Amino acid sequence: MTSIAPVAALPEAVVSTGPAAPDTKKPAKGGLVTTAIVAVVALVWIAPLALLVVTAVRPLSDFISTGPLAWPKDFTLSNFADAWRIGNFASTYRNSLILVLLKVPLGVLISAMLAFALAKLRIRFGRVIMFSVFLGLTIPIYITIVPIFIMLRTAGATDSLIGLMGPYLAFGIPFEVLVLQSFFRQVPDEIIEAAKIDGANSWRIFFTIMLPLSAPALVTVGILDAVSTWNELLFALILLNSDNSKTIPVGLLNFQGQFANNNTGLAAGILIAVVPILIAYTLLQRYIVGGLTAGATKG
Amino acid sequence: MTALTTALARTEPVAWRKPKRHGGLSAWLFAVPALAVYVVFLVYPALTSLWFSFTDWDGLSPTYNVVGLDNYAAVVQDPVVATAAKNNLVWTVVTLTVPVVMGLALAILLNGKVRGKPILRLIFYTPAVLPLVSIASIWGWLYNPQYGAINEFLRLIGLDALAQPWLGQDSTALAAVMVPAIWLRTGFPMLLYLAALQGIPKELYEAATVDGATRWQQFLFVTMPSLKPAHYIVIALSLIDSFKVFDLIYAMTYGGPGTTTQVMGTWMYANVFQYYNAGYGTAIAVVITVVAIVVSIPYVLSQTREHSR
Repeated sequence: MTSIAPVAALPEAVVSTGPAAPDTKKPAKGGLVTTAIVAVVALVWIAPLALLVVTAVRPLSDFISTGPLAWPKDFTLSNFADAWRIGNFASTYRNSLILVLLKVPLGVLISAMLAFALAKLRIRFGRVIMFSVFLGLTIPIYITIVPIFIMLRTAGATDSLIGLMGPYLAFGIPFEVLVLQSFFRQVPDEIIEAAKIDGANSWRIFFTIMLPLSAPALVTVGILDAVSTWNELLFALILLNSDNSKTIPVGLLNFQGQFANNNTGLAAGILIAVVPILIAYTLLQRYIVGGLTAGATKG
Repeated sequence: MTALTTALARTEPVAWRKPKRHGGLSAWLFAVPALAVYVVFLVYPALTSLWFSFTDWDGLSPTYNVVGLDNYAAVVQDPVVATAAKNNLVWTVVTLTVPVVMGLALAILLNGKVRGKPILRLIFYTPAVLPLVSIASIWGWLYNPQYGAINEFLRLIGLDALAQPWLGQDSTALAAVMVPAIWLRTGFPMLLYLAALQGIPKELYEAATVDGATRWQQFLFVTMPSLKPAHYIVIALSLIDSFKVFDLIYAMTYGGPGTTTQVMGTWMYANVFQYYNAGYGTAIAVVITVVAIVVSIPYVLSQTREHSR
């Protein structure tokens, strides 16, 4: 949905990714120069975020008197309290969380079902369906915005999180099906055949064999989907108008306007908005990286 | 379409004992929920937009007239569309090539003898998981003419003359918006290339060394060819992604100053929600979507083919 977009996919080679990277434990002798170069670039890369953190914990007066790059003389946490209150983060957080918790599992489930039908159930017109669904990866969200707005207004579902569910689910489906279908295909047909002989029907096979065997793929897809749901701006911007129904990106956008002259408060607000996603990313990066890179290693 | 048909015609033998037959009703029960959502909230709205683009609808009135291709004729003559199309093109070229080249360079460096690989990798991909609105906020704040870190840095190193309102003037605004895009989009190619590089068998390099190949020749004749699948994915996905540009521009400059940084997405938005020209706005969206689809079809076809083997 947004730019991390995804990707990728085609985890054709996922299974065989493992042995390819035998990260040699040899002490890196000639590595110091390279390390220094990469470290400098990394420093530049992380500088905006580092600066953001430092600014968020200093008083505004200190920021104004000594400038944005000076090391703070004072530290304070009051920026966070101010930003939290004025930015209405209690409600934007709640809304974004509800959305992610409702949307992601449901999206992954229906995408997995479709992926299963495409990968293992020999659905009629399978290739046409796949082509049409993958084509969805290329459709910009904004072409659907006017009709969706009208549709939801007619249904009385604007300004509600439920109204966002439909478009969010729809725009998540292509990528999820793309990834899950390739995982499902790798499950050997023999396992399914054996289960059939034991009398299992398709639902049983789906829930007791396919899903458990594809747990890593489900986790990866779920995380990436959660990130793009958490970050989505356009639908939320147009469909939600009361303060109590806004999500994090829309809330942050308004907040940015209100805090235009309060740099430290703005920094604190931005941090409040991104910290959960940064924590989740740091903890779960293994899955993200694995999912994103799965396709690159074949051939 | 021919490519599709050939793809459809080619079926590889399956290791399945029974003769090939379709899954019937039960397969459809699995497919229908996702397909229904997809059709109702993506396909149908996209086609409805196509219809609106042939009308003079303002987005509010209960009625409208069908005006045929008038909106498209207006699109062609609209100077802002010309700016937006040019910006989309510049955006695509720059935010595709720079991140891909930098990502490849970083991946090659990281694939060498480097300490702290996991943390470095973590750092470079971090911007990609942030909400675009927050990236816009962060950079808008860095670019602030008076209190921004960038101008402050220039003043500190004695380049006062270069301190300027980066987002507020025509000459620098578009470049200033592309910098954060590069910042956030370099991580993905880096991850992909790193994974791909680690998959290249060491023997290839050993053999090349034995044959007397220089480092540069090794890069050209061993590394680059082995990275072909990675190049393909990275370029295809970056390309697809670049047509969708909206959030960053909307949140950083709102297309301004004037109309300098308008892209098709934001100009469509302005026409629909600010000037109440829904018919005209959707025509703009249709144009860019058609371009995006046409450019992406080879990728979609190759995916379909690969996924049906």
